[in-house]
Amino acid sequence: MNVFIAFISLIATIAIFLVSKKAYQKTHRLLLSPLIVSPLFLVILLLLTRTSYEQYNLGGSVLTKLLGPATVAFAVPIYKNLELIKKHAKIIVASLFTGSLVAILSSFFFAVWIGLSADMITSLVPRSITTPIAMDISKMIGGEPSMTAVFVIVTGLTGSITGAIIIRLFRIKTTAAKGLMLGMGAHGLGTSKAFEMGELEGTFSSVAMVIAALISILLSETFFPLLRLCFAM
Amino acid sequence: MVICEVKCSYKLSLEKVSKVKKISKIIIQIVFLYGILLIGEGISAVLHLPIPGSIIGLVLLFLALKFNIIKLEWVDLGAGLLTGELALFFIPSAVGVIQYDQIFGVVGIKLVTVIILSTILVMICTGAVADYLHKKDVKE
Repeated sequence: MNVFIAFISLIATIAIFLVSKKAYQKTHRLLLSPLIVSPLFLVILLLLTRTSYEQYNLGGSVLTKLLGPATVAFAVPIYKNLELIKKHAKIIVASLFTGSLVAILSSFFFAVWIGLSADMITSLVPRSITTPIAMDISKMIGGEPSMTAVFVIVTGLTGSITGAIIIRLFRIKTTAAKGLMLGMGAHGLGTSKAFEMGELEGTFSSVAMVIAALISILLSETFFPLLRLCFAM
Repeated sequence: MVICEVKCSYKLSLEKVSKVKKISKIIIQIVFLYGILLIGEGISAVLHLPIPGSIIGLVLLFLALKFNIIKLEWVDLGAGLLTGELALFFIPSAVGVIQYDQIFGVVGIKLVTVIILSTILVMICTGAVADYLHKKDVKE
């Protein structure tokens, strides 16, 4: 019975994802993004069929397991764009270091200010980087990977909705800056937005996504514990 | 007519064969990437490194590509699928929030507020720094 439920869960997740992806490609409405529609649909399905998350996840975890090799696979776009990275190394490192620092600091202080609990804050901190790595970091610093996954989705949506407005408002002119800010702020979703703006913007964005993740690991291992110590959390 | 039909169906089956070939190639490459992940996790565990095994795997694969130990075409298709369909792989985790009812309601609104404010700030700072440095580079 359990094997059966696991199998159905796996097939249903893939099927719902593929259908919602097709629908999104036709309409291009962000709120119809498969990242929102598919989990929502599955949650409703679980509630209606009175299936517990544990049962569903017997099949679902097969997909979660693939996040590991997906992270490893990010070596490929870095390798392919090595020339571009070398040429703009200074700009890339400086802007992404700033971005990662602001991400940790602002999540921390906004969260303290608005009165969130310590474990929520810990799950919030890695949210501006790409999911597989964010979930790994969350686990490492004592957060809740599943919550982090949702925070990453909300972050990606916010970034891709506000990206164009910020670019106009703050008169961001260069292609490098546009791509880097979208990849840093909104990871995968931002990167697909950047590719809509242009090939080069998209490439910068995907590079930013991976390098920002590496910088964030460094900061969440060193800077974040220090921050927590200072505020006795 | 008959010849055309035979030809067409022959072409079709050829397409099918190449599709099957491509799919099996993708699967083998994903298994290969999984192997690199396991090596990364092994290194992380043995050396007690505070870095996730997946990141060590990423660095290992990059170095192997750079020094021609692994050829790009050995991993390209599988890596393309994994990074291209990334969203699919974290849907089960996103569904997992139903286990935490504390993040709905007021706390949920607070969380979303923090995320929106922080994300906007991150993008402004990153964009401004990159734009400033790039313009300065061009001037020099």
